[in-house]
Amino acid sequence: MLLAAALFAIPLSSVSAQDDGDLKILDDIKLLAQKMALPELSGDNPIILREEWWSGSIEPGKAKLVQVQLFRRNVYRFWLAVPNEAAGLNMNLYNGDGEIVSAETIAYDTTNVVSTVVEAESTGIYYIRISLKTTVDQPEDWALIYGYR
Amino acid sequence: MYYNYQGYPYPIMRKAAFLCVLSVSFIHPSQAQNAPGKIDLSDPNMVFVGESVIPIPLEIFASLDKLGQQDWGQEIASRSIELDTNRSRTAMLFGLVVSEGFIAVQAKDKEAVKASGREVLRLAGSLGVAASVEGHANSIINAAGRGDWNTVRTELDRTRQTVLDQMKDLRDEELVDLVSLGGWLGGTEALAAVLKKNYSVEGSDLLNQLDLVKQLKKDFNGLPKRSKRGKLFSQVSKTLDHLESLMQSDSSGAISEGKVIEISLATSNLVNAIYES
Repeated sequence: MLLAAALFAIPLSSVSAQDDGDLKILDDIKLLAQKMALPELSGDNPIILREEWWSGSIEPGKAKLVQVQLFRRNVYRFWLAVPNEAAGLNMNLYNGDGEIVSAETIAYDTTNVVSTVVEAESTGIYYIRISLKTTVDQPEDWALIYGYR
Repeated sequence: MYYNYQGYPYPIMRKAAFLCVLSVSFIHPSQAQNAPGKIDLSDPNMVFVGESVIPIPLEIFASLDKLGQQDWGQEIASRSIELDTNRSRTAMLFGLVVSEGFIAVQAKDKEAVKASGREVLRLAGSLGVAASVEGHANSIINAAGRGDWNTVRTELDRTRQTVLDQMKDLRDEELVDLVSLGGWLGGTEALAAVLKKNYSVEGSDLLNQLDLVKQLKKDFNGLPKRSKRGKLFSQVSKTLDHLESLMQSDSSGAISEGKVIEISLATSNLVNAIYES
């Protein structure tokens, strides 16, 4: 309950790094991602959720890359969400040379949220590749949040 | 008031119900599927989303602490700040003070965290964003008093994010970049100082931030001239150039001890110049 309350306490004006350059009000897509993250934010070795996040719009069958600096030995977890429950998502991690990084993908009972967990093997820039499957035919707004431990 | 993704108002109670109804029914691990094994990052058709977010110092400190407990308390510097009318300097100071707060959290130093909370509020006032920061600053001070480090950590990150968001709202984009730069600089100064005192090849890997420095430098160079007038800002530019040359790792990802010492000196000199100018 305390964690849920903490999530609700997030500043309502919070905005993300977006691909369209415009500012956007905190929305329910981010909250959906946070909801899925909630169980990982408590316990003996919790994920520490960062306040910065990304959002934008993506077309079916298309991919986008999000650049992120990771630090060796830390475990990072990412949650990607779109509002349409019929939508399917892919999320994979690539290193600075463009090679795919071995990571665990966590699927949920709803396909419009997906999570990836990885322990960074080296410090440096990585790229999160997100894509929207063609199970839907309209672009979807998306939100990507992350945390570390 | 919340807004939904279409921009329509979204009542808080409905939001609460929305979150309560949704739940994870099962989770199963799987490996990457339907993803190319390699992507060409130079492909002009690749669509990149914004730029890399700037890591907070705690992310880096957490990694270093996995190699053994560090004495972060030694990196807490009690500096007095004399404000002037230069908002660019104030923005960098804001980033620096937040990073001081992160160092104090890592050292679990209640009084230093409280001092950072008070200074954060003062600087936010000078930047015209005090109203949105006040609640967070008070939470930092109160949580520090209770030794509730998780809350302090969260509120510091929220404070930083709130100020960045407010500045974006106010179209003060150049100040956003300078707050980020100040925060990164403060964290890097502390990291380099700790590594200098207790050098390890494994730990030095954390200074492998070449791409991040390039981005910070690009952001800084892209600022309008009015935002970086004066000797201090030419020192910022020179230091970023110097750090770019120093944060070149060898094939194993390590940064040599000599470079760590130089990074420590360069960042420390710049931090002092920002405080004292």
